Amino acid sequence: MNATADTAASEGTHTPRHEIALALSHVSKRFSLVTPGGGELKSTVLHPIRALRHRTPHAELWAVNDVSIEVGRGEFFSIIGANGSGKSTLLRVMAGLSRPTRGKVTAAGRLSTLLELGSGFHPNVSGRENAIVNGLLVGMTRDEIEALLPGIIEFSGLRQFIDQPMRTYSSGMYVRLGFAIAAFMEPEILLVDEVLAVGDGRFQEKCYNHIATLRDRGVTIVMVSHDLGAVQRFSTRAALMEAGHMVLIGDPKEVVDQHLERLVNSSPEIRRSMQEALDSAISSSPEAQEKFERELEANPAFLQALAEKAKNEEMSPPGEADAARDDDAPSNP
Amino acid sequence: MAAGRAIRNSATLSRVPFPRHTLNLMSAAPVAMRPPGSRSLLNSWQLLRALTTRDLRLRYQESVFGWAWSMLNPLSYGLVLYFAFGVILNAGFKDYPLFLMAGVFPWFWFQGAVQQSTTVFVGNAGLLKKVRFPRLILPLSIVFGNTLQFLLTVPVLVVFIVASHKGPHWSWLVTLPMLFTIQVVLTVGVCALLSSLTVFFRDLQHITEVILNLLFYATPILYDIERIPERYRWVATINPYAALAEGWRGAIMSGHWPGEQIIPCLLWAAGFLVLGLFVFRRLEDSFADAV
Repeated sequence: MNATADTAASEGTHTPRHEIALALSHVSKRFSLVTPGGGELKSTVLHPIRALRHRTPHAELWAVNDVSIEVGRGEFFSIIGANGSGKSTLLRVMAGLSRPTRGKVTAAGRLSTLLELGSGFHPNVSGRENAIVNGLLVGMTRDEIEALLPGIIEFSGLRQFIDQPMRTYSSGMYVRLGFAIAAFMEPEILLVDEVLAVGDGRFQEKCYNHIATLRDRGVTIVMVSHDLGAVQRFSTRAALMEAGHMVLIGDPKEVVDQHLERLVNSSPEIRRSMQEALDSAISSSPEAQEKFERELEANPAFLQALAEKAKNEEMSPPGEADAARDDDAPSNP
Repeated sequence: MAAGRAIRNSATLSRVPFPRHTLNLMSAAPVAMRPPGSRSLLNSWQLLRALTTRDLRLRYQESVFGWAWSMLNPLSYGLVLYFAFGVILNAGFKDYPLFLMAGVFPWFWFQGAVQQSTTVFVGNAGLLKKVRFPRLILPLSIVFGNTLQFLLTVPVLVVFIVASHKGPHWSWLVTLPMLFTIQVVLTVGVCALLSSLTVFFRDLQHITEVILNLLFYATPILYDIERIPERYRWVATINPYAALAEGWRGAIMSGHWPGEQIIPCLLWAAGFLVLGLFVFRRLEDSFADAV
């Protein structure tokens, strides 16, 4: 399924070097879907035959399906894709948190992960103690962490709050501390899931800049993100996932364009709700409007695609166009 | 330390060689999935200590009596038992209070650890899903925490010993550390086993509760093993904790050497340790997906 092999592998300066930091070969991850009533003692006792029969796989989901990639040392590799396309599962498999059903993951170097909000933070203890426990969890000793703490506190901007229990933190503060810890743990390979979306613009900028510094120092970064602007700005390569398959690997700009094109071409329902959400977000804050305009400028392909779509729809009555595309879609103009 | 200084000076960091170790995550066996060998024993110990003290501190943080609860809990239980059996049923005998306490205190240690361990992986789902660390530290921290709590109750036990004009015996220097070690090993084994299995079979948490309850009465804590009618003796034989309870009481009350009693203690402890660690090793790679 990974027929679109590294098209960029032979061109450009940011292609994988000889040293491979992270290699996945034919990695697949299957999840068994839980069926109601299965696996409990009651049903096992009451219906032993049914319980035995249910041992055979009933419903399954291949969250990641035959993915093979090689990430070179010092690369900034981004993975984009719609929700539920298997990006985060893939990242967890890379991190060694989840065992692939098939295939092989090879990582050379100290892995640090930044997965989801406040990974492993305990709400009732202070930010400082959480930082220490977090460092211990990733394998540092107390002395090493104590030495890094001033830098972490400084970067997160939590100076006067660091000794407060974390339940009092806002979600932005959570992310800031989480990012500061992950970034300061001297990773050789940093895996970042969509987490930065929570912080404010300035902090996001700071994080991306820090990630870019890490990249320049030779740290390998794999990031899952919906922030397409950042993907284009920082990554050296990008991949697009769809329904567990890695459908495209290559130059970030090409991949992002391809992704947007597919998005716009997908259901009109999605498009309409995206439009509404955008409108309300933009009209409610001038800051967002400004940001949106900046993003649009950075993504001329998207703008162009939107304009073409709009033109196409004007030519045919909207109701018909929708119905032709999707029979189930209610055609409310 | 040097690393800490280096990171603040990014110019130097680029020239600091990273410790390079290749870890092969899934090459042949699931063994390779475990955290890289770079993790030092010091780190594991510090992590164990940090998690344990955090949990203990959190448990007593908001309560007025705080740590005193570690003592009040088994003490009040022992006193209730004394009142019910020694006073009301008049089944007690000489030094019955000390007799009870010498059994109840170690039992509370065992029971507390085993009961809490069943939920330790399920309750730390967030950690398992997001961070890679030696999973065994979680059940170990439960055992460690309960051991600390037990050690805190020792002064209460001493009061009972003094009040009953017993000891001190020279033999304690050997018997008490020995029994202590055996109980730690047994508890670690049982906790590793139950914590791992509960991830895949959640009912085990409630089953354990029931079994622990039964086990308390099946163990010679309230009564002497001699009192058990001959045809029910087998219950004590298949009870992993019975020999240990007898050992504790014999040692504390009369400075007894456990004698051949020590053999079943050792066998149960070693058996559970091997079984617990084996089951844990087999299952630990699937925890993150199952919790």
